[in-house]
Amino acid sequence: MSRGNGNGNGAPQNGDARVGVYVCHCGVNISSTVDVEAVRDVCASRPGVVCSRDYKFMCSNAGQDLIKKDILENGVNRVVVAACSPLMHELTFRAAAEEAGLNPYLVQIANIREQCAWVHDDRERATAKASSLASGAAARVALHRPLEAMKADVNPATLIVGAGIAGIQAALEIAEAGHDVYLVEKQSTIGGQMAKFDKTFPTLDCAACILTPKMVSISHRKNIHLMTLSEVESVDGFVGNFKVAVRRKARYVTDACTACGECLKVCPVRVPSPFEELQADRTAIHKEFPQAIPSTFVIEKQGRPPCRQACPVHQDAAGYVSLVAEGRFAEAAKLIRRQNPLPSICGRVCYAACEEACNRQSVDKPVAIRDLKRFVIDWERKHVGEVEPPPPENRHPESVAVIGSGPAGLTCAFDLARKGYTVTVFEKHKKLGGMLAVGLPGYRCPREEVERDLAYIRKTGVEFRSGMELGVDFAMEDLLSDRPGFGFDAVFLGIGAHRGLKMGIEGEDVALEARKRGAFGVITGVDYLRHLNLGLPQETGKKVAIVGGGNTALDAARAARREGAEVTVLYRRTREEMPCEEDEFDDAVAEGVRFEYLVLPIKVLGEDGSVNGLECLKMELGEPDASGRPRPVPITGSEHVKEFDQVIPAISQRPIWRWLKNWSTQAEADPSGHLSFTPWETLKVDPDSMRSGHPKIFGGGDVVLGPSTIVESMGQGRRAAEAIDKQLRALPLEDFHTYVPPRDPREGFEERPHSYAPRYDETPLAPRTPMPKRPPEIRVGDYQPVDLGYSEEQARAEASRCLKCGVCVECYECERVCEPGAVLHEMTDTVKEIEVGQILVSTGYQTFDARKMMQYGYGLYDNVLTSLEFERMVSSTGPTGGKVLCKNGLPPRAVGIVHCVGSRDENHHPYCSRVCCMYALKFAHLVNDRTDADVYQFYIDMRTFGKGYEEFYRHVLEEGTTVIRGKVAEVVPARGSNGGLGEHLLIRCEDTMIGRFREIPVDMVVLCNALEAREDASEVRRTFSLSRSPDGFFMERHPKLDPVGTTTDGVYLAGCCQGPKDIPDTVAQAQAAAARVLGMIAKGQTLIDPVRAEVDAKYCSGCKTCLDLCPYAAISFDGEANVAAVNEALCKGCGTCVAACPASAITGAGFTDAQVLAELEGILAPPPETTTAATEMR
Amino acid sequence: MKMRSSPMRGPSSPGVLPQAEKELREAFLTEAARIPGGELLNRCIQCGTCSGSCPVTYAMDYSPRQVIAMFRAGAIEPLLRSRTIWICASCYSCTTRCPADIKITDLLYALKRIAIEKKIFPRRFPVYVLSETFTDMVRRHGRNHETGLLLRFFLKTRPFKLLSMAKDGLALWWHGRMPFKPRKIRGLEGLRRIIAKAETFDRPQEPVEHDNLTDTVGYSAIMEPWGRRAADHENGRRPPRRRLATVL
Repeated sequence: MSRGNGNGNGAPQNGDARVGVYVCHCGVNISSTVDVEAVRDVCASRPGVVCSRDYKFMCSNAGQDLIKKDILENGVNRVVVAACSPLMHELTFRAAAEEAGLNPYLVQIANIREQCAWVHDDRERATAKASSLASGAAARVALHRPLEAMKADVNPATLIVGAGIAGIQAALEIAEAGHDVYLVEKQSTIGGQMAKFDKTFPTLDCAACILTPKMVSISHRKNIHLMTLSEVESVDGFVGNFKVAVRRKARYVTDACTACGECLKVCPVRVPSPFEELQADRTAIHKEFPQAIPSTFVIEKQGRPPCRQACPVHQDAAGYVSLVAEGRFAEAAKLIRRQNPLPSICGRVCYAACEEACNRQSVDKPVAIRDLKRFVIDWERKHVGEVEPPPPENRHPESVAVIGSGPAGLTCAFDLARKGYTVTVFEKHKKLGGMLAVGLPGYRCPREEVERDLAYIRKTGVEFRSGMELGVDFAMEDLLSDRPGFGFDAVFLGIGAHRGLKMGIEGEDVALEARKRGAFGVITGVDYLRHLNLGLPQETGKKVAIVGGGNTALDAARAARREGAEVTVLYRRTREEMPCEEDEFDDAVAEGVRFEYLVLPIKVLGEDGSVNGLECLKMELGEPDASGRPRPVPITGSEHVKEFDQVIPAISQRPIWRWLKNWSTQAEADPSGHLSFTPWETLKVDPDSMRSGHPKIFGGGDVVLGPSTIVESMGQGRRAAEAIDKQLRALPLEDFHTYVPPRDPREGFEERPHSYAPRYDETPLAPRTPMPKRPPEIRVGDYQPVDLGYSEEQARAEASRCLKCGVCVECYECERVCEPGAVLHEMTDTVKEIEVGQILVSTGYQTFDARKMMQYGYGLYDNVLTSLEFERMVSSTGPTGGKVLCKNGLPPRAVGIVHCVGSRDENHHPYCSRVCCMYALKFAHLVNDRTDADVYQFYIDMRTFGKGYEEFYRHVLEEGTTVIRGKVAEVVPARGSNGGLGEHLLIRCEDTMIGRFREIPVDMVVLCNALEAREDASEVRRTFSLSRSPDGFFMERHPKLDPVGTTTDGVYLAGCCQGPKDIPDTVAQAQAAAARVLGMIAKGQTLIDPVRAEVDAKYCSGCKTCLDLCPYAAISFDGEANVAAVNEALCKGCGTCVAACPASAITGAGFTDAQVLAELEGILAPPPETTTAATEMR
Repeated sequence: MKMRSSPMRGPSSPGVLPQAEKELREAFLTEAARIPGGELLNRCIQCGTCSGSCPVTYAMDYSPRQVIAMFRAGAIEPLLRSRTIWICASCYSCTTRCPADIKITDLLYALKRIAIEKKIFPRRFPVYVLSETFTDMVRRHGRNHETGLLLRFFLKTRPFKLLSMAKDGLALWWHGRMPFKPRKIRGLEGLRRIIAKAETFDRPQEPVEHDNLTDTVGYSAIMEPWGRRAADHENGRRPPRRRLATVL
């Protein structure tokens, strides 16, 4: 690459400029409005102009010869051509000048056709403007300096964006010539819209028959690199040397797929298929159509189901719900066990974050996900029996101690055992399960269910040592020492929060003290429940007060009720603020528990441990506090006494740290060995790794969270297990895979569960199946479970309410049955960088949304179809197998085909969509061919412009199609009288040929909706620096002379992205584009206009302002010299930096300040008094 | 009640319309130019959406589409004599659906106005008589006088119908529903002035005197919050009242 230097070329200095001006008549295009002779004469009078001529056609050979002759004979060394747009003939005149030995950049065009003649009608003023423009050009060209165009090698690879018929055809043409093609397609298969068609006009070839051979050869060509499910993210560089980033979206199926279709049989999801225009269903794992290329299946995931997102253990809720709906309970049970070590318990007592996130609540009520889990696990017990956990993949020598057998400890132990570690669980009580054993009353979750989950965990090889209390039977240092039976490499502390908080009011301590002597007046909720669950001696009063409104309070209340007490729950706020669960509350009320709100106990009345009442204050709600709940404010003077003989405070719980006294001395000896605590006495851990201050001690569950829920504790246990595994494998404690629920699991599902589903408000209602319960009067007498569980029918009905959010529900059934192991649910998007020389954009079109023309009833009446819906209906692989059928399954008696739906309409698209008349005639033929129905065509103007098209029209007319000239006014439903057979539709229009209003009864209406620019056209436009015409389609370089090129060199257009066109025209344009691409490859080099920015290092202050502004990243910074430098190959000469440079150190070659000012002066120069001098000179 | 329309006349020789048609055409185009979008008339693609959408097209002698076609054919007089322009119920269905964005209802109004101005219309056609009689009643009494309206309407259109309706009329009179004497409103003069003023709005507006524009357009007009005129305001002087029309 080299660039010209004015001084080195022997070019004349400014004073020597001898300008020749040539004014073109352009036939009469210019001369009819502009007085070309006057322009010529004005220019002749301008300084430096040595000759000024006019000619009928300057672009003709004779016209060019005028210029050449003046250069050679009259010493003209600057040329101004006042003619048409430089886009048309600048190259022509530059070439002419070059032939005569003049540097082509010493030629300047003044556009007096598009800028003057064509846009003005006042001859005098148009002439004055033309004279000014030409004078300006003459003044500017005098200051031009010779420039040399740069040359760049052309990368022979080509990028084609969009693999419809245009992209496919162009790819084959270019590949045939032996060059590499990157074919990028957004969909999972190539073929575009044409793949949906049945027949093609006018020859009635089967679209598949002529398209699929081309698709197959795309997959066979070695030099076509096909990238489906991919989108171009960015394009850098310039013609011949583009750098393109392509985002390849996850397909979730690898190339190993043999397209055997086994996965289709097991996928529980059915969603409407967009390929079938939503007229038929398909599975989440699918192939769009039998001949799809590539034939690899694809899993559609539109985000993750919110139920799964919300679950702290990432339970595959949508997956097992979908399997239950299909009656595949064994698979559902396996799926549940994949993520959940405590399914029996979670099926009964989980707080169900999944149901809070369930999108079904936008329709009616959330799906009963927890109850379905319980059903599945119950079913498994009855029909499968004992389940064996899969053996771990590896074995590791390290061993881990887990202290506490609550949900956190059990999950941690289970996960570590599955990873291949030796795990020992220490439990203080004889009964395993932690809070599950001591805090959970049997009527919510019977002991045998806990035992069942424990048995399953035991089978993974976890060793349980029950009756071993930390700080009593062993010490922390024992665990980490070499003592036989101990010597662990890591410890998980999951001791929970078992110390119930006191109310801290007068009389309470006395009563609690008295409890040691056997009095039962005051006892905390956790203690009360523990005593009952472990069978320890515990008396219950006759009138019991429970203080608090959480789940523990309600458990204690219902347990006390079962002990025969009259129970009142006292809560200081109102029902709204109670943290307990809805179900729990309802059950408690049903069982006769009384609730009193806005009450605060302030004094326990009684003596020596026996209680005879509570003195309380009334409260009112005040300003919201830190937790967002309104703060209860006592009402002064509202003291009153309530009669109770037992008070059970269930306010909050704290972990028990008694054992720590023996440990802390040891810990202080080791500087890193501190355990630290929060103000709530819980253990402080690193939120990512769950590791405490001591490098070998991890914590999780209530000991970290404070009193929380089972599943949150399980989530922490799981994360700790992953962290312990990482630590023992000497991996850094980062990049965790285990799951933390996002803040808003429903994000992305605001309007509908997935893009093919109806909106929530259009989804039919289906009530939630209520959980059968035992009657309250019977159940308060025992501790048997309250909930009875669903029957199979109930479960399937409830499960079928699932909306399949995000399409794939992640049940992993496809992964299970895939023999080659091609399914990979963990696949992620990748970005691939490719380098190409040229780009062909063939992104196609979309069809007009017929809902926008409400008068045609699309979406309101069943048998109003769009053109693509009808194409799929008549296709042999379509939803009806090629039969033309109404929604009621009967063939139509008459079909109306409505032209111009959305096209030729100022309210929508003013342009003609060009293909509709012809495909409407094709539809008429297909209806005639396949049914006995009468066919009516409603047209405005019948446009059958192509080869063989008019003959096809005649043929369709001969078949007996009725054509009615008139745009349809409206389609309305009708019933009965006309022919007497059921419901039909009426088409109302004016038959303009007879000038009568007509109502035509039909059974089916096909709307020929317009072709329009794709929704994402503006992003595509930005990515490839294209322009769009007012109709939204991409703009070609010239509507007649360059319908393939664009204003960006090296970027071409083909197919409907440039404008509506039929298949023959699309293929022709694709081939034309391929020819342009191949031409450039054959040339091997490209000339780049030398209009470039240049930094004068002398003036550059190194402020770097230009660096960020350059849209082409063409400016770099020379750190040593402290100046900016322009990379000529990347610079496009846009001038942004020139304008921005505060020191005016950057100039644009060909656009220097002097040149621009000279042009302005030339334009603004007053017209000469007389033109005689010029005339004489001529 | 089929109207007899005059024979349709197009150009008599190349480029020459009969004098009467030419005048009517000019009058109509002037009227049409006053409708926003009225100049889009030439865009019509004769698709018939208007006629198909019209709920009263069955009662028209020319459909809305044909109205435009006849205008193009240089036959306005038969249009002015037609029932179509009086039948239009102003539902605007044609206008909302027209794919060429033509204000068909408004064009029909324009034709009605010319028909009244040029006095070319079916003179005894009930729609015109009813509206003409009604406005005359309002002008005279400030309100409608049912008895007078009915009497005049039927006398002008179907006098013999009155005899058959006499019994109902007397019964209504007996119950005080049809007083013979019209009652005038208070402030009738004021109403008449309002009507007279409103009628001037229907005419092309007088061009605004240029002198008045100096401080109501351009920068001085928009400088108010910080400019000289804000200062005037602070000094207690009322800012000059601006004429809305000139600012817009």
